[in-house]
Amino acid sequence: MNSAKDESLSLVLMGGSSGSFVILEDIIKLLKDPVSFAVIFVLHRGRSSSSVLPDLFKTKTDVHMSEPHHLDPIMSNSIYFALPDYHLLVGNDHRFYYDHTEPDFFSRPSIDATFISAAMSGIPVKAAMLFSGSSQDGAGGLKLLAEMGCPTFVQDPEFAEFPRMPEEALLKYKKHKLLEEDKFYETISNLLS
Amino acid sequence: MVVLEYPQLEELIVRIREISGFDFSGYARPSLLRRAGRYLAKYDMDLDELLLHIEPGGSIVYDLIQELTVNYSEMFRDPEYFKRVRTEVFGYLESYPTLRFWVAGCASGEEAFSMAILLKEAGLMNRSLIYATDLSNRVLTSAREGVFTLGNVRTFSESYILAGGKNSLSDYYHVAYNKAIISPELRKNIIFSLHDLTGDGVFNEFQFISCRNVMIYFTLELRQQVFRLLYDSLSMLGFLCLGKRETLRYSGLEAHFKVIDSALNIYQKIK
Repeated sequence: MNSAKDESLSLVLMGGSSGSFVILEDIIKLLKDPVSFAVIFVLHRGRSSSSVLPDLFKTKTDVHMSEPHHLDPIMSNSIYFALPDYHLLVGNDHRFYYDHTEPDFFSRPSIDATFISAAMSGIPVKAAMLFSGSSQDGAGGLKLLAEMGCPTFVQDPEFAEFPRMPEEALLKYKKHKLLEEDKFYETISNLLS
Repeated sequence: MVVLEYPQLEELIVRIREISGFDFSGYARPSLLRRAGRYLAKYDMDLDELLLHIEPGGSIVYDLIQELTVNYSEMFRDPEYFKRVRTEVFGYLESYPTLRFWVAGCASGEEAFSMAILLKEAGLMNRSLIYATDLSNRVLTSAREGVFTLGNVRTFSESYILAGGKNSLSDYYHVAYNKAIISPELRKNIIFSLHDLTGDGVFNEFQFISCRNVMIYFTLELRQQVFRLLYDSLSMLGFLCLGKRETLRYSGLEAHFKVIDSALNIYQKIK
């Protein structure tokens, strides 16, 4: 059953909170089929919000989208969304694991939980990004990824709708690359090509 | 933030086993890694310090095991699930003269109390027994007390209403010393007892088993073994309920169950 492990798998991690939903939508439009990696999007969502993101975006892209089940193998050419009320962990066996421990910074899913588990999984992280939000969540995980040599990016707080999240990340680690307003989607598009 | 690496986690698992006999080898590593990291952060120490402190005869190892296994629960968690049980499952169970329910991995009793309320409101309480089990004596003690903070109870009340509750949740507890105490009337048909899903066997036959958000902490292999135990403990046409993000997938028993609700993970044993 562990044969699902795809040795060429790499990850692109994206985290966001308030003000990030629009960004998520635009990024999905940038993704063309096929992509050689898996994108994992962790967006803070209310616990009762239902599982609708793949449906909502299905006209925007041909890349496979899902809100994964517990133990599903992580596959290239996929966009995954963390579901509300559980942390989504990346396993070193290339599977997803749900976790229901306490929220981090009042958030479940927490961006840190996903980012840290991905960092420790041994799966190469092609890029990790943090966007608009009014929480400290994600800053610790992004720092860990940067220290392990992964390319890390934050939305320029200057033009983030809610600057706190990228600001906290920069406070913890100064050397994240800034995604500036005029080149925001261009930079992301280059990273994802 | 303290981050452990997988080899360090294995070291910790071996050490815990040597000292206490408790075996985490069947527990899903990604969750365990997160929990162990949080434990270290809470006490502001690194793994070496922890390994120094957990020694035979000491209490730290048991505190650690508790933290690594504890399950957080709520009353009427996922209200739509309880609604569904009421409408889809109870109609079927009404035909039985006696009913046995098993809440496996009951933590502090929240799920068992919710089930008791549901049964009471459906008029099934008098012929029902709820077995609520957990591997931790500590949480069972708190479950038997049935005491919750008023803050928690506020959340539970909202969920109770969303679950289609017929009264007010306050009909089922009284307040003393700023705490909510579940009424004895509700507790009399619940048996709280020690049971480790990973080691203990079948102890009764049930018409209904709920094991929600417990198996997400087990490895694929151990999970299959626990699924087998639950399957063997269910009467034919009995119901098995899992947590919202869990699934029967990868259990090896998919063909033995009929799906009653795929989103809320309610299944019925059919062969």
